[in-house]
Amino acid sequence: MTDRLHLTPEAAQRLTVDAEPWLSCDDCFHLVDRYVENLLSGDQDELPAMRAHLRGCSACRDEATSLLLLTAADAGTDPTRALQRLAQ
Amino acid sequence: MSIRRSDEPLVSVMARDLAGGDWIELLSSPGAGHDEALQRLHELLLRAARQQVSRMQPALNGIGQVRQDDIINQAADEAMISLLGKLATFEGRSRFTTWAYKFGILQAAVEVNRSMWRHREVPLDDVHEPLAAGASPEQFSEAADFSIAVGAAIEQTLTDHQRRVVLALIVDDVPIDVLAERLGTSRNTLYKTLHDARKRLRAHLTATGFLPVTKTPELTP
Repeated sequence: MTDRLHLTPEAAQRLTVDAEPWLSCDDCFHLVDRYVENLLSGDQDELPAMRAHLRGCSACRDEATSLLLLTAADAGTDPTRALQRLAQ
Repeated sequence: MSIRRSDEPLVSVMARDLAGGDWIELLSSPGAGHDEALQRLHELLLRAARQQVSRMQPALNGIGQVRQDDIINQAADEAMISLLGKLATFEGRSRFTTWAYKFGILQAAVEVNRSMWRHREVPLDDVHEPLAAGASPEQFSEAADFSIAVGAAIEQTLTDHQRRVVLALIVDDVPIDVLAERLGTSRNTLYKTLHDARKRLRAHLTATGFLPVTKTPELTP
């Protein structure tokens, strides 16, 4: 096996994330504003595909986190709980 | 009129005073308030880009403040063009400011990664080197061995293209937009490749006893 296939446990975990049901990055971008506002308002998560996508796509997850923090700052809201829900 | 909190940027107060429909109307047609709305929008995008660049500080090692400001301004400009081209797609499902911020954040992330990888090589060589046959669950032990099993599954079940993509994204930590640019494709397409590869890996690891059976993953041809 080559060196690049000597995986760290963290890489192995990221490689086998269950990111079902499928959602594309484009659809994630389309939905993320509403999703973040729902998380901040404590509403029930109605978009399981969005949650799955954010588990599987680190780039979209990082951008969603920035959006959540910025939106929370505008609203004067503590983002802690919403951040926890985002990371689930 | 809203009351401004002492720690709140002025742009937030101005933006909050406009409803989503007002933004669309002002930005869509030349006339009174159009230029001011464009300016306010650009300020929102600068704020979003600044936030994203700030959060990516660890990746910006060695990049000075002047260059960071360039990245922020460039991201806001690019995001402005992108957003105005998609103005008709705003459906009012969120506040306009939240909708606008995402354009600035996305563009800033792309600009930071592009800048940091400009002179770096993206490893895309074919790493295929067959494993010794006969590896079984009994030959592995606990957590570290799961990593070995995943490495074996990568060699045994993925196509050459899937293998190159997942190793670049997950093992070498190449940002997905940088990889997309080098391969002449999109974030969307690469994520689909990663998604399908994960399904194959999970199916194989479930069949060989390294992952619990939850449901039968469907293989994508």
